[in-house]
Amino acid sequence: MDNKYINKMLAEMDKDLSSKGLSRREAMKMAGISGASFFMGGASSAEAAEEVAPASVAKGKIVIIGGGLAGMSTARRLTNFLSNPDITVIEPEALSVSYQPGQTLVAAGIWEENDIAYKRDEYVPDGVKLIKDKAIAFDPKNNTVTTASGEVVSYDYMVVAAGLQLDFERIKGLEAAGRAYSAGDNKKLLDALGDSISSIYTAQGATKTWEQMQKYIAQAKQAKPGEKVQFVFTHPGTPIKCGGAPKKIVYLTNARLKEAGARENADLTYYPAGGAMFGVPEYHDAILEQFKREGFKWHYRHDLTEVEPENKIAVFDSKWQEKGEWDPQMREFEVIGKHEKLRVPYDFLHITPAQLAPREIAESDIGSAKGWVPVNKETLQHIKFRNIFAIGDIAQVPMGKTGGSVRKQYKVLVENLIAEMEGKKLPAKYAGYTVCPLITSIGTVMLAEFDWTVTPTPLVPLDPTVERWMWWLMKVYALKPMTIYGMIVTGKA
Amino acid sequence: MQVKFELVTYDDAIDKFEQDDNVYLLELDDEQTQTYNLLKDKDLSLYNWFKESEFFLNWIKEEVYPKSVGKKIAISDINGISFLRFYFFKVTSGDIHYEYFKKMFDILHELDWQDREDVGEEILERLVVKRQELIIELQDDAAQIALSDSNSNA
Repeated sequence: MDNKYINKMLAEMDKDLSSKGLSRREAMKMAGISGASFFMGGASSAEAAEEVAPASVAKGKIVIIGGGLAGMSTARRLTNFLSNPDITVIEPEALSVSYQPGQTLVAAGIWEENDIAYKRDEYVPDGVKLIKDKAIAFDPKNNTVTTASGEVVSYDYMVVAAGLQLDFERIKGLEAAGRAYSAGDNKKLLDALGDSISSIYTAQGATKTWEQMQKYIAQAKQAKPGEKVQFVFTHPGTPIKCGGAPKKIVYLTNARLKEAGARENADLTYYPAGGAMFGVPEYHDAILEQFKREGFKWHYRHDLTEVEPENKIAVFDSKWQEKGEWDPQMREFEVIGKHEKLRVPYDFLHITPAQLAPREIAESDIGSAKGWVPVNKETLQHIKFRNIFAIGDIAQVPMGKTGGSVRKQYKVLVENLIAEMEGKKLPAKYAGYTVCPLITSIGTVMLAEFDWTVTPTPLVPLDPTVERWMWWLMKVYALKPMTIYGMIVTGKA
Repeated sequence: MQVKFELVTYDDAIDKFEQDDNVYLLELDDEQTQTYNLLKDKDLSLYNWFKESEFFLNWIKEEVYPKSVGKKIAISDINGISFLRFYFFKVTSGDIHYEYFKKMFDILHELDWQDREDVGEEILERLVVKRQELIIELQDDAAQIALSDSNSNA
């Protein structure tokens, strides 16, 4: 990134800001110099007042299932607001607090795996007990949890922050990969993916993606005239962590290909299972324009079902709709869903796997028919068990599987859990805010913020569909310390 | 003014609606016309106003379905405002109905992953409850008055 580029970005940013009556200094102050916390949802005056609220004397044994960002931040914040906390976190993975949003940057060779690896044991809040085991059975009627080693843990209140599982095993040809979590040892998964398939959805997989990306970029550099190296990217038909990530890896591959002078010798093709680029129309339109500008190809309603690594073929279930029979009751023609198998050759295949609630939760009384923990989407309280709350990826909350969502949710959850412990009405409501810093190149990010209104909800009064260097700086420099320090260490951000 | 109604009948035993092919005309007085005009852009408010109005229920019992105490019906069209989707929606129904119900039932719009079949099933699940709210059971006069009293006290 040279000075000319930076000056151009700054000039564009200044022009945009001045139309809003803001100087760059004022914008940067809002954007982070005065507190990067705005980046993941800002801090309202109500929240600031809450920080000085006296600690509650409410009592009760709280068990938190899962010690990732959601679980550990919740534990830390509870210790801020309870005068005599009795909190136990059950978490088997030693690197559970690792910084997952950085996996895209690892996959593009900007960070290394060590930059995002954080040890669970160093981030357990003072006074909080840690059980280094996996919760495998839930008995909400008797308020107990059983761990893999057979320990029965009782609770008065439970917070489920168990995360989700990456379901590679549903793809024919990758059955041996099994299901995986983002952090930890994923050797079995990497072995199953082999040499030409990658996925940024695990930390180790992100490193391997960068290795594979370099290999196929080198191949593109040496391609004969008319030859094109095929980079293929997938997006499944289930809710996923960070809906923008499958596209970020397309953009980053594109940036690295351009940097290597090999872009002309490569096709980048994106196969989403759904029918749009993004759930918010304004962001969908912006991404579509970016895809056109960069010369990407895309095919909606293609769900990856099978791979043949030996032949380098990805098999998709391709869906479309056709006009059906006349429906005399509805007085219209029916819409008939059709589908067929499509075999797509690839050189480099990036898989975003389907994502599911862990089996032990999906099959228990605390899970819903779809597996996720069913909670009131505003209070985060379980719809059947008043003493159970859920947060983060495992909670059945629409559009909530990002760190930006957790940053809003954990404050709501703590306030409501303490109210429940005090026998009061639950006061706090989650409004669905989430944020996706969509990396569109090395040096630019479109900050997609939205909530349940399904419209852009930018915290800084700038056009949210514009790619900016300012947001890149935030993504690369401010977000990680804000998450690890602000949320997990202090429970305040 | 005259209002055209189309109706469906509901059979409890098989949990099915059936279209009544007739079109029925009801004359509204000035006050009723005023209310109609106020509510005509809010389909369910308009529906509920008729459903809870004595003049409408009396008209149904006396002129549309006389001697039909116990019969369950619902309105499928009021002057071109269609309610057919509430009774006959299927997973294969058109996108316009999906959009309508997604908004009504607050089924959030995660376009990049939501599957048509999944959303359709969820709409059908929610409609089981919603349909019961729309059904009008024809009572004898005393029971109808008691029912409307209990509704207004609810």
